[in-house]
Amino acid sequence: MTIKRLLAVFACAGLLAPQAWAAEKIEFWTFSMKPKFTPYFNAVVARYEAQNPDVRIEWIDFPWDVIQTKLVTRIVAGTPPALVSLNVPWADEFARDGLLTPVDGLIAPARASYIPSALEDLRFKGRTYGFPMYSNVAVIAFNTDIFKQAGLTRGPASLDEQLAFARQIAQRTGKAGIAPALSKIDGLFMQQGLAVITDNRAVFNSPQHVALVQKLADTYKVGGLLKESLFAEDNFPAVIDAYKGGRLGMLLAPPTAMQRIRGDAKDIYAITDVAPAPLGPTGIADGGWLVHFAIPKGVPARLLPSVGKFARFLTNDANQLEFARQASVFPTTVKAAADPFFLSTPQNAGAAEKAVAAGALSMGHSRTLYVAGIDDYDELRRSLVKAVEAGVTGKQDVKQALDQAVAIWNRKLATLPRH
Amino acid sequence: MKLAHRHTLQAWLFLAPALLLLAAFSFWPVGYGSVLAFTDYSLIRETRFVGLDNFRYIFNNEMFVSGLKNSLMFLLMVPFVQVGAIVLAVLVNNRLPGIRLFRAAFYVPVVTTVSVVGIMWGFMFHEQGALNYVMLTLKLVNAPVGWLTNDSLALFAVMFVTLWRGLGWYMVMYLAALQSIPSDMQEAAMLDGANRWQRFWKITVPMLRPTIMLCSILSVLAALKAYQEVDVLTQGGPMNSTFTALYYAYDQGLKHLKLPRALAASFVVSLFCIGIALLCLRYLKPKHR
Amino acid sequence: MKTRSRPLKTRLQILGHYAVLCAIAVVCVFPFWWTLVTAISTQGNIFAFPPTFWPKAPSFENFIEVFHAIPIWSFFKNSVLIAVLTVFWKLLLCSLAAYPLARLKFRGRKLVFGLILATLVLPSEVNFLVNFITITQMSLVDTYTGVILPNVVTAVAILLLKQAFEEVPQDLIDAARVDGASEWVIFSRIMLPLITPWLATVGILTAVESWNEYIWPSIVMSKPDEFPLSVGVLYLRGTFGSSTRVIAAGTLITIVPTLLAFLFTQRFFMRGMDGAVK
Repeated sequence: MTIKRLLAVFACAGLLAPQAWAAEKIEFWTFSMKPKFTPYFNAVVARYEAQNPDVRIEWIDFPWDVIQTKLVTRIVAGTPPALVSLNVPWADEFARDGLLTPVDGLIAPARASYIPSALEDLRFKGRTYGFPMYSNVAVIAFNTDIFKQAGLTRGPASLDEQLAFARQIAQRTGKAGIAPALSKIDGLFMQQGLAVITDNRAVFNSPQHVALVQKLADTYKVGGLLKESLFAEDNFPAVIDAYKGGRLGMLLAPPTAMQRIRGDAKDIYAITDVAPAPLGPTGIADGGWLVHFAIPKGVPARLLPSVGKFARFLTNDANQLEFARQASVFPTTVKAAADPFFLSTPQNAGAAEKAVAAGALSMGHSRTLYVAGIDDYDELRRSLVKAVEAGVTGKQDVKQALDQAVAIWNRKLATLPRH
Repeated sequence: MKLAHRHTLQAWLFLAPALLLLAAFSFWPVGYGSVLAFTDYSLIRETRFVGLDNFRYIFNNEMFVSGLKNSLMFLLMVPFVQVGAIVLAVLVNNRLPGIRLFRAAFYVPVVTTVSVVGIMWGFMFHEQGALNYVMLTLKLVNAPVGWLTNDSLALFAVMFVTLWRGLGWYMVMYLAALQSIPSDMQEAAMLDGANRWQRFWKITVPMLRPTIMLCSILSVLAALKAYQEVDVLTQGGPMNSTFTALYYAYDQGLKHLKLPRALAASFVVSLFCIGIALLCLRYLKPKHR
Repeated sequence: MKTRSRPLKTRLQILGHYAVLCAIAVVCVFPFWWTLVTAISTQGNIFAFPPTFWPKAPSFENFIEVFHAIPIWSFFKNSVLIAVLTVFWKLLLCSLAAYPLARLKFRGRKLVFGLILATLVLPSEVNFLVNFITITQMSLVDTYTGVILPNVVTAVAILLLKQAFEEVPQDLIDAARVDGASEWVIFSRIMLPLITPWLATVGILTAVESWNEYIWPSIVMSKPDEFPLSVGVLYLRGTFGSSTRVIAAGTLITIVPTLLAFLFTQRFFMRGMDGAVK
C-alpha cells in the first residue's frame, strides 16, 4: 500500500498546472531559428534583460510547420505568447479573423525607421499588425558561358526580356533559359501589374493575362523554360540543381542561393554574374518574403507597452543588421539596409557578394506578393496553376483554360463572406 | 431481489471515476461537438446558431470534398489489409525455427510511433531515396519519382504507409484466432483426404469468420478516421491532394482556428463511423455477452 | 524433426516459405535498417545513388549531435513520466471499473456494460477538437494531466481486466465475504494480486501506447521543453531540415526503448491480442 500511496502522490503532482508569473514575463516565438541563430537570439535577450532588469524574456523556437498549430492552441487556451514570428499570408489570415492585436500605437516611436514597403505589407484594413524583421528579394544569376554562346551580353531588364533571352538561349545552345516558379503564377501576375482578383471576382482571363501566359507557352515550346518541376509546389531544389549542373541559363533566386552554388559547383560559380531582378511595371521586385513579429490577441493590455518596447528593440537597426548579416537576408530598417555591408562590393567580388549588393538595391521595392483576404486560397490557386499548366504545355488553348479557371474561382468567391 | 442488488452502491462507487472520465471525454465530445457543428462557435464573439451553414461551406469546399473522397479511397485498402494480414498469419502460424523473429518483424511497424514512421518513410520516398533506387534499378521507371511531391501519387504513398503500419496488428489478431482453431478438425479432414487448399477454405476460413468480421469493421473505421500519417508525411500537400476528411478538421481547427468548419467536418466523419458500426452490429450480430 | 529424412519437395517448400517471409520482412524492416545505417555513417552522400546499405566510417557523432541540438534527454524524461502516470492511473481506474462488471450484481449493470461497449463504437479520434476545448476550459493545457486524462479510461482495458477478474475462482471471493471482508478489501487484497499477469499485460500495452502517442500530446503541450519524445523528434526534422544523419540518429533514440521493450515482452502483446479476440 505504501508504494501505491507514493505513486498516488506522484500522480497528483501532475495535476498542478503551471502558475502564472507575478513579474513581467514576455514570451516570444520564432520559427526555424535554432540551432543556427541560438547564439544571436540569446545575445539579444541577454542585452535587453540587462537594460531592463524588471523584465524576463523567454525565447521559444518552433519548426515552421508546427508554429501555426501551437499559436492557435495557445490562443484558444487564453495564454498566447506576447510576440510571434509570422509571414505575411499567415498574418493576413489571422488579422482578418481578429486574432492579432494592431500595433499602430506601439510601433509609432520607431515607425520612420522601417522601410515603407515592409510596413505596407503589414497593413490590413488600414491598421498595422506587425514589427518587420527581415525580408528577402530575388536577384538574377546568369551563366556567362551560356550567355556568350547565345549571343547575350547583359542581364535582362524586364520579364519580356527574360523570356526573349530564354528563347534565344534555347535556340542557340539547346539549354533551358529560365525556370520561373509557375506554381506561384498569381504572384507573377501581380508583379506584372495584372490583378488576380478585383472586387471579389477573378479577372485573370483578360487579354493581358492571356498574352502573358501565351508568352510563357511560346517560350516553353522552344525549350526556353526548364521542364523539370515547372509546376511543382516547390520547384527550387530542381531549379538550383539544374543551374549548378550547367543546364540552365538564368536563375532567379535570393542571394543565399549564390552561397550554395559557390559551395556545391565551383566551376559554375566562377562563370556566374549577377544583376538585380527586373522590376515589373509595378516597380515591385520579385522574391519578397517578409517575416515579422506580431502580437496575438489575448495578450493582457497592461503588458502591451512593455511588449511594444521589446518588439522595437528586437527589430531595431543594430539587431536587424546583425541578423541579416548572419542569415544572408535583408533587414527592413532604412538605416540597416543602407549599410555598407550590403551596398559595397569588395574588389574581387564573386557572385555571392554581387548578389547581396544587387539585392540591397532592390530592397526598397520588395513587397510580399500574395492574394489576400481569401479563406482556403490554396484550393483556388490549385485550379489556376492547373489551367496555366494546360495552357503553357500546349494541352489546352490558353484563353480556354484561363476562362475555365475563372469560372471555378467566381463560383467559389460568390459563396464566401465578404471581409 | 434485494440480495442481488445489495452491492449496488459499492459497485457504483467503484465505477464512478471511470464513468466520469468516459462521460467527459468520450460521450460529451460526441454530443457537444455535434451541437457545435451547427453554430459559429468562436472565441471572440458570442456563439450563434447557424443551422446548416457550416455544412454548406464544407461541402462546397474542394479541400473537404476531396478529403472525403480520399477517406473513401482509404477504404479500398481494407480488403488488401485483411487478406494480407490473413496470409501473413497463416505464414507464421507454425513452429519453423526463427518464426518468432518474423512475427516480431511484422509487428514492429505497429509499435513504432507515427512521427518516427513519418520521418523514416519520408526518407524512403525521397526523390533520391531507396525506393526510387530500387525502381530505377529494376527499370520500372525511367526517372526518379516524386512519391510525396507528385499530387497524383502522394495519396497512394500515404495509404501505403498506413497499410505498412497496420498489417502487423491485424496479423496478430488473425494469428490468435488461427491458434484457437482446434486441430482435431484439421486432422479429421486430412484423414478424409482433403488437401491443404481445401482444408484452408472449408475449415480455416469459416472458423475465422468472426475475426474477419471484427477486423474488417475495425479496418473500415480506421480507414475513415485516417489522418495522423497525413500529418507526419505530407501535411496535406502537395497541393492539398492528401487531405482526408478528418485531417481537414485538424487543419482547419488547429491551424487556422476555423472551429465551426472543423466541427462540421468531424460531425460528418462521426456520422459515417457510427452509421457503419450500427449497420454492422445489426446485420452481423457478433457474439457479445 | 529430422531434416535429413524429409523429401526434396518439402525442403523446397520450406525454403520457399522462408523466402516469402524474408521478402515481406525486408519491406517491414528496411526503413529501420536504412535509418540505422544513415545514423551511424559519417561519410558519403546520404541520398547517393546507389544508396549505402552498409555503414561507412561508423561513429556515434551523430547521436552526440542530437543531444546537443535538441533537449532529447528532457523529451525522454517527459515520455517516461507520462507513461508511468498513464499506466498507474489506467490500471487503477480500469480495474476498479472492471471488478463490479465481472463479479458484482447490481442495479444498472447491463446499462453500464452497454455504455462501455458503446464507446468502442464511438469514433474517438474525432473527439480531439472538443476534448481540447474542454481541456482549455479546465486550464489543463500544457500539463501532463491534460495529456493523460482523455485516454486514461478505455473500454478495451476495462474489458480485458474484466475477463481477467472472471477467471478468479468464485470460492475465494465467497470465503472472503463470509469472513466479513468489504468489497474494497476483496478487490485490493485478493483480486488484484491474483490477476497480476493481466495487469502486466495491460500495463505494458498501455506504456507502449502512451510512449507512441503523438497527436494528442502535440496538441496539448506547447512548450518544446515539455514535449514527450514522440513529439520532440519531429522538432528535429524542422530544425535540422538539412542534416538527415542527425535526424536519423534522433529517430533511433526515440524508438529503441519501444523496440527493446517489445522484443523482451512479445508474449504480452500477443496475449493481449488473444484476449481482445475473445
